[in-house]
Amino acid sequence: MPMKIGERSFESRVNKGLDDSYMRETVREAQGRLHTNKAKAEEDLGQWEEWRTLSEEIRSHTLENLDFYLEQLSENVVKNGGHVFFAQTAEEANEYVKEVAAKKEANKIIKSKSMVTEEISMNDALERAGCEVIESDLGEYILQIDDHDPPSHIVAPALHKNKEQIRETFERLKGYDKTSKPEELTQFAREQLRQEFLEADIGITGCNFAVAESGSVALVTNEGNARLATTIPKTQISVMGMERIVPTWEELDVLVSMLCRSAVGQKLTSYVTGLSGPREEGDLDGPEEFHLVIVDNGRSNILGTAFQSALHCIRCAACINVCPIYRHVGGHSYGSIYPGPIGAVLSPLLEGYEDHKDLPYASSLCAACTDACPVKIPLHELLIEHRKVIAEKEKKTSIGERYAMKGFGLAASSPGLFQMAAKTAPYMLSPFSKDGFIEKGPGPLSGWTDVRSFPAPEKERFRDWFKNRKKEDS
Amino acid sequence: MRQGTIQNKESFLNNIAEKLGRERKTSGVERPSYQKQPQWDIMADYTTDQLVDVLKEQCTAIHTDVRETNIDGLAAVIDNVMKEYGAEKASIWDDPRFVEYGLAPFVERPDVNIWGSAPDEDDIKITEQADVGITFSDYTLAESGTVVLMNGGGKGQSVSLLPTYYIALIPLSTIVPRMSQVNKKIHEEAKAGHRVPSCINFISGPSNSADIELNLVVGVHGPVRACYILIDDR
Amino acid sequence: MKVSLFITCLGDVFYPGVGKDMVELLERHGCEIDFPENQTCCGQPAYNSGYHKDTKKAAKHMINTFEHANAVVTPSGSCAAMLKEYPQLLEDEPKWKEKAEALAEKTYELTQFLYRVLHVTNTGAFLEAKATYHTSCHMTRLLGEKEAPFQLLSNVKGLQLKDLPNKQNCCGFGGTFAVKMTSISEQMVDEKVNHVEETEADILIGADSGCLMNIGGRMNRKNKPIKVMHIAQVLNSREA
Repeated sequence: MPMKIGERSFESRVNKGLDDSYMRETVREAQGRLHTNKAKAEEDLGQWEEWRTLSEEIRSHTLENLDFYLEQLSENVVKNGGHVFFAQTAEEANEYVKEVAAKKEANKIIKSKSMVTEEISMNDALERAGCEVIESDLGEYILQIDDHDPPSHIVAPALHKNKEQIRETFERLKGYDKTSKPEELTQFAREQLRQEFLEADIGITGCNFAVAESGSVALVTNEGNARLATTIPKTQISVMGMERIVPTWEELDVLVSMLCRSAVGQKLTSYVTGLSGPREEGDLDGPEEFHLVIVDNGRSNILGTAFQSALHCIRCAACINVCPIYRHVGGHSYGSIYPGPIGAVLSPLLEGYEDHKDLPYASSLCAACTDACPVKIPLHELLIEHRKVIAEKEKKTSIGERYAMKGFGLAASSPGLFQMAAKTAPYMLSPFSKDGFIEKGPGPLSGWTDVRSFPAPEKERFRDWFKNRKKEDS
Repeated sequence: MRQGTIQNKESFLNNIAEKLGRERKTSGVERPSYQKQPQWDIMADYTTDQLVDVLKEQCTAIHTDVRETNIDGLAAVIDNVMKEYGAEKASIWDDPRFVEYGLAPFVERPDVNIWGSAPDEDDIKITEQADVGITFSDYTLAESGTVVLMNGGGKGQSVSLLPTYYIALIPLSTIVPRMSQVNKKIHEEAKAGHRVPSCINFISGPSNSADIELNLVVGVHGPVRACYILIDDR
Repeated sequence: MKVSLFITCLGDVFYPGVGKDMVELLERHGCEIDFPENQTCCGQPAYNSGYHKDTKKAAKHMINTFEHANAVVTPSGSCAAMLKEYPQLLEDEPKWKEKAEALAEKTYELTQFLYRVLHVTNTGAFLEAKATYHTSCHMTRLLGEKEAPFQLLSNVKGLQLKDLPNKQNCCGFGGTFAVKMTSISEQMVDEKVNHVEETEADILIGADSGCLMNIGGRMNRKNKPIKVMHIAQVLNSREA
């Protein structure tokens, strides 16, 4: 279960998150800043809704014709002199990468940030095969040295840690002796990692977008680590989720524009790098060997279903950055490397409901995510769709709830029953009422009254008032 | 050229087609004529001077120094910037534009290494030890303050990456509104069946990270400081 | 103009005062009020919980109940948005889908109806108070109505309207979410209450009784001296 983090129950993870005031403060501030930055980027760009419409159209066209574009991509990679491996499963992908490492007799592998390699636990597989794997993204590096703490955010993986915790980790495990200033911490990581880059045998990257028409892989970064990983090592392996593809460089422009703005509010990140195969004749840097691993790992099961638009995701984390649930419980509470609204949609699709059945309910359906998504994935609707599958297909909801809903359907379609329920409510609840409020409610109402007062029903319902008023009039 | 390989393609793509509920598509897919294309409206009618203003303003946002000069003043400006940065050793592209823009004496200096000229192909090592990397910009994007480098051959990708500082020489003739114009050109090249350069960089200022509490720190794995020198070559 | 009122469950049983104000308000602006007695619930509790077969029963009943109406007006952005969800819910049943579309087209939230159909910007209301307005999620994001309440409130005489910080944030209600994920919901509503307090408002106004019940219930529990009013009550306030 590679995406899944830990064995604790959803409730205990949430409680742990809610109790972590450090983490919550950091996340709250980060969300505020990211929200402001994105809003400004949208305004600067102008015509944001048109950009979203275009982006959605690009994504849905590409997914509808995914087999065609993947074939075009793979043929063009080969034309450029690269190798393509289609991996149906995580195991197949990891086996292939291990084989390449073995063939190259690689000891040291440097990685730039990649969610799909997290998803398939590639580091673990390589380490078990005897390779040293070094994460070079600053956030991933922090997590890796801190005993492989899992990421809590798909763009800023170490968001849950504050600088003091990071200083302490560096000091304890790497002999760091300076302050918790981010500048000094960052400088330290630069020094530590530069040598690793120069010595690495293989560079592994993810893939923000592959470009079908030219067999290219586009990497969108700020730190420069993905550039280093693809400039110095003699062998480069890029791993992509099979849906991360665009037809041409023109679509790449649009989606990169949206990704940078939605993720961090930048017009472009410091580095957008388009890599097309290994180095050419006469080049003195760049990899001599280039491998592209295209990963399915459950994605194809989403095609042709009501959830297909979830594959439109460009991993910008805009939905995570506006989600109130994420703000209060943090990324680890989701128990998956994909947190937030998109994680709550994707995790059950990729790994099944068994381990992730609570996630679709971790939403007030406020639709802030849907509003924020640059490619218009109807995230809150997909969460409802999950609930529908759980309730009606998997039948995994409680018997009590199922009966209650059946009763509801019955009552809501027969006015007599409905009115009887409405009429009796005041009597049923009257023993609990005081000064117009209910402080401690019975049954399911207790979830409400543990936290809030509940209004006591009025003696005269609206419909009675209206009827009486009409009578008086006539 | 070396020939690449493909593995497992048929079963993988057949499965996708099946899940999409149709036959495999191997030809005949055309991109839709997108209803909305707002990217072409942006700064569509801007003059070079207006684009330069946009670029300069964006540079303040991306922590990038800007100098303005013409061909005659270029050598002196480079010297000044290097002095300001405390940089001595430079690594530069093997690019005829250095001579065209009057930098022949600069190129000749002993502490200037031209990419590809190091003995035993030690260019990466030398460049890694250089204080500053200097390249020309092939295209420059006003909106995002971006220099676009079409790497390859004498234009090593290490030059803009490994040294502590980076200087981009930007002839005003390279400025376009945004990424759209450049990507359109690359698309047309690809469509014509030409190979796209194996590494194209879009660089917008120095490297940076916000991974620690979202505090922006300038200078991570790439250059810690960047300067754009705008050259009026009109 | 004849207007059919959809009072909503909360409006019927818990907040009948809101409905009374709404009736007076609409009548003052020339509407004749029709109240179809057979109306029940929009079906949202079942819909959001994933019980769509059960929701369809409610939806079909509501479609029939309001078939005769010229316009359906309701004091809830959320319930209005749910009625507009019916065409998608009944997508597989073409005949019903068509009827659902007809209902969706003539359904309005109260302020939306006043502002966009009746073109009212000033209801002649008077309320001397410092207040802030909670923009409910479903009203702004699903119904897409971000303007009408503010237009109408800006012309209430004596009302000093303070901007609610982070007004885009959910209050933590979310229907069954509030009872299923109580601990998270509690943090969300606390955050909202804090923001309301920051405005130093005496009154919190909203257009969705669900949110008001949640925020008001929490403020009551924490003994905050802030009054909660539905926008219908504010727009129908008169000089004493």
